[in-house]
Amino acid sequence: MSEAELKTRKWENTRLSLSVFFANKAAVIGLIIVMAYVVDALLVQFAPQAIGIHSPGTLVENFYNTVPSPPSLAHPFGTTYPGVDLFTSMVKAVRIDLFYSVLVVAIGAAVGSIVGVVSANVGGLMDEIVMRITDVFFSIPYLILALAVGFILGRSLLNMSIALAIVWWPLYARYTRSQTLSTKEFTFVEAAKASGVSRLKIMYKHILPNALPPVFIQISLDLGSIMVIFSTLAFIGFIENASIPELGYLSSLGLNYIQTAPWTVIFPGVAITLFALAVNLVGDGLRDVMDPRRRS
Amino acid sequence: MRLWVYIIRRLLLLIPTLIGLTFIVFILSHVSGTNVILSEYISPKLTGAARQILVQQLTNQFHLNQPIYIQYFYWLWQILQGNWGVTNTPIFSGQVNTAIALFLPNTLMISIVASILIWVIGVPLGVYSAVNRDSPADHSLRIGSFTLYAMPIYLIGIVLILLVGVYLKILPFSGVVNPVSVSSASWYVNGISYPTHIILIDAIIHGAWGIASDAFLHLILPSVTLALAIVASMIRILRSSMLEVLDQDYIRLARSKGISERSVINLHARKNALLPVITLFGYTVAGLLGGAVVVETIFNYPGIGYWTTQALLVSDIGGIMSAALLFGLILMFANLIVDIVYALVDPRIRY
Repeated sequence: MSEAELKTRKWENTRLSLSVFFANKAAVIGLIIVMAYVVDALLVQFAPQAIGIHSPGTLVENFYNTVPSPPSLAHPFGTTYPGVDLFTSMVKAVRIDLFYSVLVVAIGAAVGSIVGVVSANVGGLMDEIVMRITDVFFSIPYLILALAVGFILGRSLLNMSIALAIVWWPLYARYTRSQTLSTKEFTFVEAAKASGVSRLKIMYKHILPNALPPVFIQISLDLGSIMVIFSTLAFIGFIENASIPELGYLSSLGLNYIQTAPWTVIFPGVAITLFALAVNLVGDGLRDVMDPRRRS
Repeated sequence: MRLWVYIIRRLLLLIPTLIGLTFIVFILSHVSGTNVILSEYISPKLTGAARQILVQQLTNQFHLNQPIYIQYFYWLWQILQGNWGVTNTPIFSGQVNTAIALFLPNTLMISIVASILIWVIGVPLGVYSAVNRDSPADHSLRIGSFTLYAMPIYLIGIVLILLVGVYLKILPFSGVVNPVSVSSASWYVNGISYPTHIILIDAIIHGAWGIASDAFLHLILPSVTLALAIVASMIRILRSSMLEVLDQDYIRLARSKGISERSVINLHARKNALLPVITLFGYTVAGLLGGAVVVETIFNYPGIGYWTTQALLVSDIGGIMSAALLFGLILMFANLIVDIVYALVDPRIRY
């Protein structure tokens, strides 16, 4: 096959994948929502003044009455406990939630996939030990383990994400390991072995490029669940009394007013649900693209 | 492989996991540097000679002058003997053992009610959704479970509190019982009911039906919240597993033999689709334990989870570490049971 022919083939493939993805309306809507969250986070990070935010890192903005007031024209989502506009706070919170969720996934994926690939290739006793270690991590409910680890590290947002990453990497290690092991069984790997390619080269040129993409897609789809867990930890009191715009913490601030001002708890909670939902929809769309049986 | 060989192998595998679990908890309590056992057992108010004596006593008991890896074994010995340390939280202070005896029954109670709800709701809906694939009912079930799956547990709880507790005012949403109704009961002292510590069961034992029905009403919302948080993934997994089974050759054979669609689904398909659901039992236990922490906190329900968050808020290391150890042990044995049941049901697994 000539170079040009290969190129057109690749392009055809990409085009087919894109058309399969965009044919799924729910996935497209999910993608738009996820993009909206990303744009929100980027705006607050790089141009907070442009959208009228003065202090992106804290809840403090303009103080209103500490008793929450209902949604109105001035405050589309109402105000919440320390006397802040709920909508502005949520716009600020999305940046923090997104950043730390990405951090958890990134640390967990880096550690997990390295451990998984090495464990699958070395095999033997080392593989057995790694699997037993992941067993131990799976035997503690993740929320409790994250609580215990985070408690020891100190209650802060960064430590909370480190704790979640420590809880999460075994999952990725297992997944990467099984992907690598099944890729190793393919005929093209056997063919490479038979034609005398070195073990290391087979690893880099043949196994990893085929085993890792599905792993990374799976991992990025965890972003939604991670954000849910992250905010849940913040909600049950992981963040010490601080003026941090975080969606779960925002929900917990309104908890004392739940009977008179339900919007203070509901809106931040819905923001998290919407993100997790959107990520899952995108995930379903991507699975259609990855699975040749479903893309006919 | 014989079944009992498999079970013995599985039991032996439990040992490294147990060592790993206790080791994680031990290391976690010691990374911060300061001697946790001393700060856990000794009140900061205690000073002078009395403090010195207590320090000496604890040093002897836990061999604190030894290297840390040796301390681990002494600590493990204490744990095995049932000495889990002390806890000091607003809702309880004293021996961890007593705290577990008081709180665990309540957690078990909502977990059991929730898991009954999960199976009663989840299995029929999952099967129905798969059998009537792409029908309007299937679509709405999928959208519903998809949304529920994305919701944080606390949001589910709060929506229920608002709808049922605040607006409709038909169910209570805080605590285990109305304190006024139990104030005169002789078996209820200082917020603790005797003998089982589960107020619903104690009330039934003592024939106090009014209190029993009140306690039952208090149980509904936390259990339903817990069940809803887990049932969504149950429906999704059962649906896809059922669809896979319905596509198998033996189902096609059964259909072509002229067996009625109803017996095909009830006799041939459902049993096989339930196999992966057995493994889900372990998953359910993990979900219940994790969910209990959040649910009990929202509903001020005095169980292990509520105790854990209280311990977190006042930085009580004894409470948090014991809860991690306890939940780890429960989950480990749940997984053991799952593996054994699976081996019983599916002989292929033993080879």
